[in-house]
Amino acid sequence: MATVNWRTINIDALDPDSPANFDLSSLSPAVQPVSAADVQSLAGQIRQLLRGGDSEGALQGALENPPYGGDEKAKEVHLATVIEILQSIRQADMSPILSRIYSAPGGSEALDVLMKYIYKGMAQSNTSAASTSRNLTPQATGFSQIHSRGGGEGGGQAMSVLLSWHEKLVEIAGPGSIVRVMADRRTV
Amino acid sequence: MAPPEVNHLFHHPIADHSFSADRQTLAVARENNVDLFERSGSKFQLKDELTGHDKTVTGVDIAPISGKIVTCSQDRNAYVWEPSPEGWKPTLVLLRINRAATCVRWAPSETKFAVGSGARLVPVCYFEEEDNWWVSKHIKKPIRSTITSVAWHPNSVLMAAGSTDGHARVLSAFVKGVDARPEPSAWGERLPFNTVCGEFLNNTAGWIHSVAFSPSGNALAFAAHDSTLTVVYPSAPEQPPKAVVSVSTQVLPFMSLLWSSESEIIAAGYNCEAYRLQGSEQGWQLAGSLESKGRPGVQDQREESALNMFRQMDLKGKVTDDTKLKTVHQNTINTIRVYEESGGNVTKVSSTGVDGRVAIWAL
Repeated sequence: MATVNWRTINIDALDPDSPANFDLSSLSPAVQPVSAADVQSLAGQIRQLLRGGDSEGALQGALENPPYGGDEKAKEVHLATVIEILQSIRQADMSPILSRIYSAPGGSEALDVLMKYIYKGMAQSNTSAASTSRNLTPQATGFSQIHSRGGGEGGGQAMSVLLSWHEKLVEIAGPGSIVRVMADRRTV
Repeated sequence: MAPPEVNHLFHHPIADHSFSADRQTLAVARENNVDLFERSGSKFQLKDELTGHDKTVTGVDIAPISGKIVTCSQDRNAYVWEPSPEGWKPTLVLLRINRAATCVRWAPSETKFAVGSGARLVPVCYFEEEDNWWVSKHIKKPIRSTITSVAWHPNSVLMAAGSTDGHARVLSAFVKGVDARPEPSAWGERLPFNTVCGEFLNNTAGWIHSVAFSPSGNALAFAAHDSTLTVVYPSAPEQPPKAVVSVSTQVLPFMSLLWSSESEIIAAGYNCEAYRLQGSEQGWQLAGSLESKGRPGVQDQREESALNMFRQMDLKGKVTDDTKLKTVHQNTINTIRVYEESGGNVTKVSSTGVDGRVAIWAL
């Protein structure tokens, strides 16, 4: 008797028509490839705007050019840029800025991108807080702001900023934008 | 606007429902059976039960002219039920699929029907006179994932299928000997079986919940799980469409949609209420909800006796009961269907959902 448990055989792998055997890239929308260098230079321009006090322009610029086609490194860099902008904006200014972006053409798309970054930021600050508390050597990532505060406290602070952005954003863009973060195959 | 007519049938989710053409019979999919309700006044009375499937029934459709009922189920079978003096007589249709059937719709000609399935194909079934048997033919080619919804073009040849691979496709289901050669349209000229007349993807490639052709058949709308509704206007065969309009809504995703006219779509889903969308090739927008806010019924329920109020406070620690949604449906709406038409425009629609209610809305 064969000892193979036939219930655990992956029958899809044996079927030439099965989804395991075709190219999945055709299922996702086409995205423009972006190089890490381009993202870096964009981050530089956005920081310039931020230093000039135009945080709204910086946010808009960052949200209009998400590096969907970039590699992990590029996405990391852009995430750090967006988080930096979010942390630089005061709580009282959040809602007015968001409603101005929403009413601009393509605004709903921009706010969906922002929602993606808020969720990614939350996931990120969790893991970074966990990793720093486990091994105390600070790790070099693109995350200067959070790490400079060090340890779990910095993660908590970043989280509270992201949570208040999340609250304001749902007020304007509705739960539809949360659903789009989950459904969208273009990840940031 | 008149308040909707609401009937709470039972405490089970309704996967699909269908009214007969005279609107006296309502078929609802309830677990493994299909319940047939007969209208008596403003109520619906359980008349008959169609038993035969041994897994959850996922689709039911009553043919408006012949009165035949087609059902499909997760047991991978479909039945065609015909009225006879001894009751409903089922005929098994071998779909030849190895995954669950998800939805079923009669073609407007009523000579064939299409079934969506998890097997990445669409069986198109038609009756073979010679063998006295329903035969299924598979549309296979570009489909990469489960089909969640099917819809027919008015010419009964073209069919739209929405899939979890994020694509809404327009396919030809032309069966020789059953269909007359179709008039050429913007979707295509020569249409042998399984011709792909269009593959559409919205920006986020969210999976599709519902597809529908406009009354003229010259536009296709689909709702996806990214809370968007996309309308495609084809230009000419083999050409890119002349307009693809996508509306990103603020509400939760739509599960079902229908065209009430060429410029209006009614869509409903996870928000538990139906919405009206209006537009044209130039653009579409959400025009509001079908629910009239602050219906009198809502206030009546809130007004309670003092005794009841203090009892509520004692039992639950609060005065108002906030466990009820303000909408008619208390859970996701799964299906909305045309209930009444006049002069080419839909005047009434019916909706059913997870809460076991059926509501009839005047537009």
